[in-house]
Amino acid sequence: MADRTAVESYNYSVFVGSENFMDFRTLLPVGSSAPDFEAVLLETARPVKLSEYWKRNDVLIEFGSFT
Amino acid sequence: MAREFATKGVEFVFLYTREAHPGENFPAHSSFEQKRAHARAFKAEFKVERPILVDDLTGTAHKLYGSVPNMTYLIGRGGRVLFRADWTDPPTIKYALNYVLDSRARRREGFRLAPFYAEFVGYRWNDPAKFQEGLVRAGQQAVDDFSRAMEKRVKQPLRPGRIELNE
Repeated sequence: MADRTAVESYNYSVFVGSENFMDFRTLLPVGSSAPDFEAVLLETARPVKLSEYWKRNDVLIEFGSFT
Repeated sequence: MAREFATKGVEFVFLYTREAHPGENFPAHSSFEQKRAHARAFKAEFKVERPILVDDLTGTAHKLYGSVPNMTYLIGRGGRVLFRADWTDPPTIKYALNYVLDSRARRREGFRLAPFYAEFVGYRWNDPAKFQEGLVRAGQQAVDDFSRAMEKRVKQPLRPGRIELNE
């Protein structure tokens, strides 16, 4: 079980518009190695690594939520 | 677009993050099961055909890539970032994909092409009415929180990292 505080600070319950678009610019400039991560495939509940995709193809990844 | 580029060796995926505008109907996630349920609702509502990857509850993947709410990355085969944008705009993505694929095709034809670092300003489609619809779908709280944030913003200079062009 993830730490409650970490969960609550990431999943803010009130939108205030504090996302940092400036940090985004310097984090992973084009040409960088993309960091790998594991996430759960919604359809099968199977854990997948992003690198499984980029090992066989180019990957276009969009980040977002319902809201 | 995902179908069009699938034949050209580009796989499209969606990473489900925290709720950007939590509301009564889609509140902030407090369990992974809830996050998966929201992702399922999202898939159904928008008929998403791309595979959806659900990030963990503390946003590990989201944070690795910059934490902004609706960004896009193009990662080339082998794992290098070829294009990224702090907002997702389909025509801009199509433009970037075609640029990469065309450059590779020219290379195969024998042109000598060396990679270099480049940036440009994107112009994204902005539809306030549609955005408002999304907030309503999330719930009244999302509508109220957003309008409060906007009222505050009027009194402040442009947020760092956001682009304003006087053209």
